[in-house]
This record gives sequence, structure tokens and C-alpha cells, in this order.
Amino acid sequence: MSTLDARLLAAHREHDTAGLVTLYAEAARHSVDEDTRAFFLTHAHVFALECAHPQTASLRAALITMGREHPL
Amino acid sequence: MDTAPTDLSHVRQPIEAANGLPNAHYIDPALYTEERQAVLFDNWSGLATASDVPEIGDAVPITFLGMPLLVVRDRQNTVRVFQNICRHRGMILVEEPRKIEGAIRCPYHSWCYSTEGRLVSTPHVGGPGRNTHDGIDRALLGLIEVRSHIWMDVIWINVSGTALPFEQANADLLARWAEYDKPLYHGGADSRWRLDVNCNWKLAVENYCESYHLPWVHPGLNSYSRLEDHYHIEEAGKFSGQGTLVYRQLKDEAGSVFPDFDGLSDKWDTAAEYVTAYPNVLLGVHRDHTFAIILVPEGPEKTSEHVHLYYAAADTDAGLRARNTAQWKEVFEEDVFVVEGMQRGRHATGFDGGRFSPAMDGPTHMFHDWVAAQMQRHRGTTPLAAE
Repeated sequence: MSTLDARLLAAHREHDTAGLVTLYAEAARHSVDEDTRAFFLTHAHVFALECAHPQTASLRAALITMGREHPL
Repeated sequence: MDTAPTDLSHVRQPIEAANGLPNAHYIDPALYTEERQAVLFDNWSGLATASDVPEIGDAVPITFLGMPLLVVRDRQNTVRVFQNICRHRGMILVEEPRKIEGAIRCPYHSWCYSTEGRLVSTPHVGGPGRNTHDGIDRALLGLIEVRSHIWMDVIWINVSGTALPFEQANADLLARWAEYDKPLYHGGADSRWRLDVNCNWKLAVENYCESYHLPWVHPGLNSYSRLEDHYHIEEAGKFSGQGTLVYRQLKDEAGSVFPDFDGLSDKWDTAAEYVTAYPNVLLGVHRDHTFAIILVPEGPEKTSEHVHLYYAAADTDAGLRARNTAQWKEVFEEDVFVVEGMQRGRHATGFDGGRFSPAMDGPTHMFHDWVAAQMQRHRGTTPLAAE
């Protein structure tokens, strides 16, 4: 298991919502294809919505640019 | 097999001839279900208090007559009531009281809702990483809001959506207590409690309505609030209860009292009133404090009573508050044996719903008549001469 996977699992276990935003965004950055990037950005965005993370708007904007989300 | 409708003709009689509601209305699960709609969902019922969600983002799940509801104070500081389910597969959204920091995220597929109820995210709904789909119109899939209104800090709900606006449905009580239309300060943790009673919720109303039982069940009142110091409050079809002409303020050893509400007329120097806002909220008003008791039916023969005390100022003496709480706890606990005793009595097959003292049971009879009227409306059997 990669260290990122391990850190993600730990963040899920600890209900570290802000941490999940950071880690899923990191996973998105390291993705090799568009679909995988969109998948991880989606998770980052959802957890950002949940905790009113400062990156919420920019994560949604990235998904909108990719054609994977609608504006609010 | 369908249950035959109960005969309410003996209930909808003048007080001197009337019987109370038949036993089935207190013990039969089928009647409990029927009343759930006819009496509680079709009218404005008390659910909780705005003080239960004091800060923006506060969310409290409440199961009311089996229906999962969610009380939320949204980002605009408005208290709302939603059905506590995701519009996707009906999953319960919030299991425990908590603060919603951002959006309400469903734990199942992470559909997200704003605190105003808008659906703001549907992750992977169009496939992995594809968060939209033409077949899913988010504008149509927001949280199901339940009509609500706040008065006396109580959150009133009309589940059916068919009741008149709250201000119209309760115009007479709002007018009667217009002087109390001012900020009410919840006393805090020491001024709220829950009492669970083994009785149908209606018996708690029926007992609260009348002063007839006071000398026997609350003998502590006899020295200063005699039966003859009490008066009936009766507004047919709307509310009923009792008043006292000899309210005495609680004092501590130094003679200190709670501050009065501003601008009250002289009547309230020594008067206090206790009214049931039909169907399920017991209210009391005094010059220096008010209370609300929300009766939550937990089953045909079980009720939880949620008591809240309010004051005229945000800061009041903690010692006095503790004494006021203790005093009211004692009074309400004195009523437990009579409401539970009446409940057990509803299993006596020969009981015909009982009779009413024409002089002393007017407010109680009025409540029975109102409940019967709601049932007849629901059944489509309202007598031609009534209403």
C-alpha cells in the first residue's frame, strides 16, 4: 500500500475531514489520467463542502473546468 | 381487517351530556395512527424549541411520531425543519445532534445539501468522476422542508402543509398573550428537562387543562392558590386551559425575585395563565417567567414531556432558577400518577370515556370535542350542524 493510501485510510479512520481534502487533492495531482484525477478531485470537493474548507470553491472550479460539475 | 371507526357522537355533545373519547383513542395502535394524521400532522404541532439549535449550523435529529425530522439553524440564522432523509435512497442524513460546518453530507453516497436544503453535490451520479447527469435535476431534489413557525421559542410544524398559516390558526391565543410577544431567554441547561410518562399524550393535555384536580394532587397550592382563585380559559376549537388570580413570585432569602417582562399590564402582577395550544403544547405565562412543555407521543401509551423555562433577561440568578426548576419539577411529577392511572383505566372495557363536571371540566371537554372534530374532518364525517 502506498503511503498516500495509508494516510488516506488513517484520515478516514480519524474522521479528519480537512485532512481528507488535502490528501484527495494530492491524489488528484498525482493522477495519470483525466478520469482518475476527476474521481479524486470529486472526493476532495465533497469533503471540502462538508467542512467549509477554504479550497471548496477552487476545487469545484477545477471540476467545472473539466466538465465534471455544475456551478452553484 | 380494518378497524371500525370509533363512535364520536357521544363526545360531540354539550358538556353536561358528553362522554370523553372512547378507550381506543388511548390504547389502540390503529387510532394512534389515525390521530397521527388527523390531529397532529394536519395541525400545527409543537416539535422542539429554537433554543435546541442556538447557533448557526446546529442540527438536531428528532423522530416525531415515527417520522425522521431534522431541525437546523441555517447559515442565514433561520431555523428550518426538514425530513431527515437523502433524496437519493432515503438514507438518514444526521444521526446525532451536531454542528454542520459546511454542507450536510449523506453518509451513504455523499450527496451534499446546504443548510438551506439545496442539493449542491451528487458525486459520481453520472459515473466515476462524473458528478452530474441530465436525469438528475438538483433543483427538484433538495431536502423536503416541513412547514414551520416559531412562537414562544417553540418550533411548530404542520406536516400536512394544509393548515392555515400559524398566525391565523392561532390568532386568538396570540392576541390573548400579545404582551408576551417579546424576547424570551431560555434559562439554559438548568431550565430544561424531560419527563417520560406511561400515558397517551392526550391525557397530559386533559389534566393540564383543568384546575379541578389542584386541591388533591397539588396540595401545596391550597395555602395560596385555592380552587376559587382559578378561572377557566376556553376558546372552542382553538385552545383551553386555566388561569390563577394569585400568582406569587418566587423569592430567595434576600427577597430577590426574577426580573419582570417589560410593559406588562397590571393584570399580570398577580395573574398567571396556563393554556394548551392544541394539540400538544402546554404553555404557562407569568410576570417573570414562561414555560413550554412539548408533548411528544412515543406510542399509544407513552409520551415524553420536554419542559423549557424562559426568563425576561439573559442573566438571571442561578440559585433562583434552580429553585424555580425544582418547584415546577415537583408539580409536574405530582401529575404523573394521575395521568398514568387514567391510562391504565383505559383498559377497563366498561369505561365509556367518562363524564365531565359541567362547572369544572369545561377546558378538558373542549379539548375532547376538538380532537373528535379533527377525527370527523379526517374521516369526512363532520356533522352538518357543526363547524
